[in-house]
Amino acid sequence: MHGWLFAFCRWVENTPLAVSILESSWAYPYVQLTHFTGLSLWVGTNVYLDLRLMGVGKKRQTAAQLGEELFTWNWIGFCIAITGGFLLFSIAAMTYYRNPAFRTKLGILIPIGIVLHIVVQRKARIWGQTDNVPAIGKLAGLIEFLLWLSVVTAAVLIPYFSADPS
Amino acid sequence: MIERLFVWLQHNWLIVALNSSVVSASILEVVHYFSIFMAVGATVFVDLRLLGLAARRQPATQVNAQLFPWVWIGFSLAVLSGFLMFAADATEYLHNSVFHRKVEVVFLAAVLAAVVQVNVAKWDRPPAIAGRAKFWAVVSLLVWVWAILMGVNVPALTGVG
Repeated sequence: MHGWLFAFCRWVENTPLAVSILESSWAYPYVQLTHFTGLSLWVGTNVYLDLRLMGVGKKRQTAAQLGEELFTWNWIGFCIAITGGFLLFSIAAMTYYRNPAFRTKLGILIPIGIVLHIVVQRKARIWGQTDNVPAIGKLAGLIEFLLWLSVVTAAVLIPYFSADPS
Repeated sequence: MIERLFVWLQHNWLIVALNSSVVSASILEVVHYFSIFMAVGATVFVDLRLLGLAARRQPATQVNAQLFPWVWIGFSLAVLSGFLMFAADATEYLHNSVFHRKVEVVFLAAVLAAVVQVNVAKWDRPPAIAGRAKFWAVVSLLVWVWAILMGVNVPALTGVG
């Protein structure tokens, strides 16, 4: 089952890039830096919009305005985060593949989070035109906020499930 | 003196309890990461706005007013959760120069965020944002990224944390 996924992991782990990161004495922190810098932009700009929809924080801008202004760097952050994330994964792909916390994070939580985020981002233009965000908009914001919190939780739990902590 | 304080911290029952349970230790880590994302995202975004690279249709003053609370809420939660995790291994950090450097860079980043926040209204005068603003925005942006690098360097280079 999922034989091709495992074969992919084995292939990734043996690519010259993955091998050179693993063997390098300095590259690993910079790969982590890439992942975390991207996440700061991605997770940050996701939750500022979620919180604004929920009516938490300052109300200097409507959720519609905020969603529009954050859009570009939101997705730039996403691209930076997955680049760093893929490189981190690549150096121990088969180990991550077997890890239940990693599987939950990448296979369930992140796909749901991305789909929900796209919906929230699109709908915020309507829900957030005025300060009176409808209940469905507040709920969507809350759920998205909690989803990204759970993604971070799954990530933090990866080493606890790993026989070979990385 | 400081060594005795660190030893006391490390043996404090609350610090020991918080860090020895998987649940509370994980919560501390989640809060640390999540609040850092919130703080860094907001400060970097305001810096990008001052540089004219983000949200050009909104005045920098307004972008700053909307986002800056998250810098300080995120920063406070990150410092609090970070302190509680540091305390569990306090004596190991006593002579850990990478950790000392991390704390210094994080402090510098906070100072720069405050400099930017205090001056945004003054810098944001039509028709253009002052050149000085762009200088401080670049410095702030680079120091915040440097702070993340120092953060990942502590476990990567010293094996503590």
